[in-house]
Amino acid sequence: MKNLGSKLTLVIAGVFIFFPIYAATEFSFRTGATHSHGFAAYRWIFEQSGFLENLGITLRITALAVILNLAIMVPTVTWLHLSGQRYKRLIEILTILPLIIPVVALATGAQLSMPGFMQNSVYELSFMYVVVAMPYTYRALDIGLSGHPLSTLTNAARNLGASWLKALTSVVIPTIRPSVLAALFLMIALSLGEFTLAQLLHWTTFPVWVTNVSQQNVMGATALGMGSLFFAWILLFAFSFIGGRNSSTVQEEE
Amino acid sequence: MSNSLQVKGLRRQFGNVVALEEFNLDVAKGELVALLGPSGCGKTTALRIIAGLEKSDAGSVILNGKDISSTAAHMRNMGMVFQAYSLFPHLTVAENVAFGLKMRKIGRESRDAKIDSILELVGLHTHHKRFPHQLSGGQQQRVALARALVIEPEVLLLDEPLSALDAQVRTNLREEIRRLQLSLGTTTLFVTHDQEEAMAISDRVGVMSNGRLEQIDIPDALYNNPASTFVANFVGTMNHIPGMQQGDNVTIFGKNIRVKNSKGSNGSVSVLVRPESIEVTRTSGSGNAKIITRSFLGASSQIICQTPEGAVIQALMPSHESGDLHPGEDVTLNVTLNEVLVSHG
Amino acid sequence: MNPSTNSNVDVKGALVKKGAFHGFFTSFPLPLAPIFIFLLFFFLWPITALTGNAFKSNEGAFTFSNITMLFQDPYRMAFKNSISLGLISALVGAIPGLAIAIAIEKQGSRTLKKFISSISGVLANTGGVPLAFMFLAAFGPAGLVITALKSVGIDLYGLGFNLFSFTGLIIVYAYFQIPIMVIVITPALTSLRKEWKDSAASLGASRFQYWLKVGIPILMPSFIACYLLLFASAFSAFATARAMTVGNIALVPLQIGSLVDGNVTINQANLGYALAFGMIVVSLFAMIPYIWIQSRTSKWQNR
Repeated sequence: MKNLGSKLTLVIAGVFIFFPIYAATEFSFRTGATHSHGFAAYRWIFEQSGFLENLGITLRITALAVILNLAIMVPTVTWLHLSGQRYKRLIEILTILPLIIPVVALATGAQLSMPGFMQNSVYELSFMYVVVAMPYTYRALDIGLSGHPLSTLTNAARNLGASWLKALTSVVIPTIRPSVLAALFLMIALSLGEFTLAQLLHWTTFPVWVTNVSQQNVMGATALGMGSLFFAWILLFAFSFIGGRNSSTVQEEE
Repeated sequence: MSNSLQVKGLRRQFGNVVALEEFNLDVAKGELVALLGPSGCGKTTALRIIAGLEKSDAGSVILNGKDISSTAAHMRNMGMVFQAYSLFPHLTVAENVAFGLKMRKIGRESRDAKIDSILELVGLHTHHKRFPHQLSGGQQQRVALARALVIEPEVLLLDEPLSALDAQVRTNLREEIRRLQLSLGTTTLFVTHDQEEAMAISDRVGVMSNGRLEQIDIPDALYNNPASTFVANFVGTMNHIPGMQQGDNVTIFGKNIRVKNSKGSNGSVSVLVRPESIEVTRTSGSGNAKIITRSFLGASSQIICQTPEGAVIQALMPSHESGDLHPGEDVTLNVTLNEVLVSHG
Repeated sequence: MNPSTNSNVDVKGALVKKGAFHGFFTSFPLPLAPIFIFLLFFFLWPITALTGNAFKSNEGAFTFSNITMLFQDPYRMAFKNSISLGLISALVGAIPGLAIAIAIEKQGSRTLKKFISSISGVLANTGGVPLAFMFLAAFGPAGLVITALKSVGIDLYGLGFNLFSFTGLIIVYAYFQIPIMVIVITPALTSLRKEWKDSAASLGASRFQYWLKVGIPILMPSFIACYLLLFASAFSAFATARAMTVGNIALVPLQIGSLVDGNVTINQANLGYALAFGMIVVSLFAMIPYIWIQSRTSKWQNR
């Protein structure tokens, strides 16, 4: 009896969430004006002339964003955890600031402040994406690293004879790998789907291109939307099994 | 002495696991009874059923003669303290303690007086306005105790209240629990896996294993007359020394000793002897054991020896009598009892 | 012991002593320089630039005129709409989201939780055109739900319902607001210790009294924080608003968008920046309490 209310809630929620998905999926499989079904709508987007080109642009932007994260976020958080708590509070506050500023506002400001050479390159988006993702990537890295006593581990490694470099490669990097992957995943997810900054800074990335092309074909656009939803869903579900090795301690036998 | 709490035939099963089987317990008014056992033995399950936080598959709980088995937990008037996280984090110490009184609709003046006096009793009368996260582990548990006692419960239930604390705090707090319980005359049921704790402060201790109550008695009786091998091993340290039984006697270290729990059989048995009943003396020439280590524990010293057959034996002797014993020396071991317990196998 | 002050231990970075930096930091760790510089260029500078321009006239002089224009229509209307959208959408997301999160906790099955957390992650990031078209397929004039209801005699559009209205926007926004709520409130729910419920019961509190005196007071700060987050999310949303409205609803992000695209008259050069500045101010009102509450409650949530 106690669980009836919760079961009911979940069922109702399920209906509200999945009905539009069902409706859109059914719609996306329709072929033309007839009520038969097929994959025509799903093929449509791949047949558009700008598909590969724009996908490539977005993938390249994403790649640079990932590299920037690896170059800046990962060393910073690792250093914070190795060197003690003194600056942690400060960095925590700094990295949460981007959350306060609406992306639209950031876009207008960027247009004003960025030097000309940057504004001429689509890769300015990579830098902005790193900023927008920072509250999430920082937290993912911080929480992931907090599960391991990094300074103790490196001290132990060095005590056993490893140089700083060896300690880094054989102890630190394997330990932080799951957390880094989780943070990079967040970055990639954001970058692949980001529309606002790209649109307002007048760049055509994959999401922007999709939006423009969608005006022409409602069914195709719906198929695209559903396709990307399912694809993201499968990716995320798969990822939840791979990433994130928990720091669960072994229960002692009493 | 009337029985405050009676538990009859409790049984609880989770899937295939029987957590509690035929559990019976009588606790007299004002008594402190400990339920002692390893994790998984059912002691916490029994406590939670008594508290009303869990249902039993069979059996009944009777409080002051009244069957409360189907009474809701919040109507049972039992105070409870948990291992950790008992206190409500959003309330101050005083508000935490006031909680039960407010539920009983006790007026403001009377409430404040009771809170003041109970906090005084647990030594935290300057901490009214503090929040739980500002207190140490030991302080938090003392507030939890105060909160449970201030409502003058029929029974006080303690679920491993000291397990999460440091050793020194643990020793101090267990004395305080006993002191409080005695001065207020509260009937108390205390669950723990630490036998030293249970033996130190309880009127009676019930040893549990695999859902069953193996033996319940005063600490001395448990220690000197364990009813089973499990109890013998769980309470204090026990040596198992191979010996040969013939009739009602057993031969060990060349001496014939009467067997307390003899069934008159013959054959090889394990003789159960406490460390303090083993005497270690230096021999000239070869004795019956060699010393492995000697640990100085203050008034006593622990001496671990090994016989030629490979049996490892722990002895406990006054330090001033064993100062000349060193690792590697040959010694003679002797059992200083007139009768012993044996176990087969 | 802080290794960076222990001279016997190598630390990756070096302490840069006094004299090297003027200003706030007299001893500043070098390893933190990259992130500082990054935030300076790509965050602080844009914000400062736009704030500066918000108060500039066409000639470059300091002026409040851009700001005062915000209080006139159509900008006043846009702010009104965006703020109401934020407030209402946050509520529409918060309450069902809380109910769903509670239901999930009660059910307790691990596969369910994994499933929910993965779809919540995806749905929370769904927006823009894909989301709009999905709803079009279901609730648009020729949508599946609409035609299904028509066949049983209920004509929603005839009754005045319109997907491309303010109400429609709220419904579409709910699709990502509710998952956000579930994601953000679940940690607070799991931090409710079983011992508190048991303690309350043993002290004489019924289930209802427990929730009234313990459960709700403990959850309230987190709930408020989540509401504020949802407000900011709905207030600032751009892609979905752009896909769902056909110019019929004035919203601040959309107005900024059209000004950026060049629909600006001569004496409104810096109006876009003023609008953006206004957005930042509104967002500050929501996000600063959010951050404050989150940092406070983590004290007893992370024990």
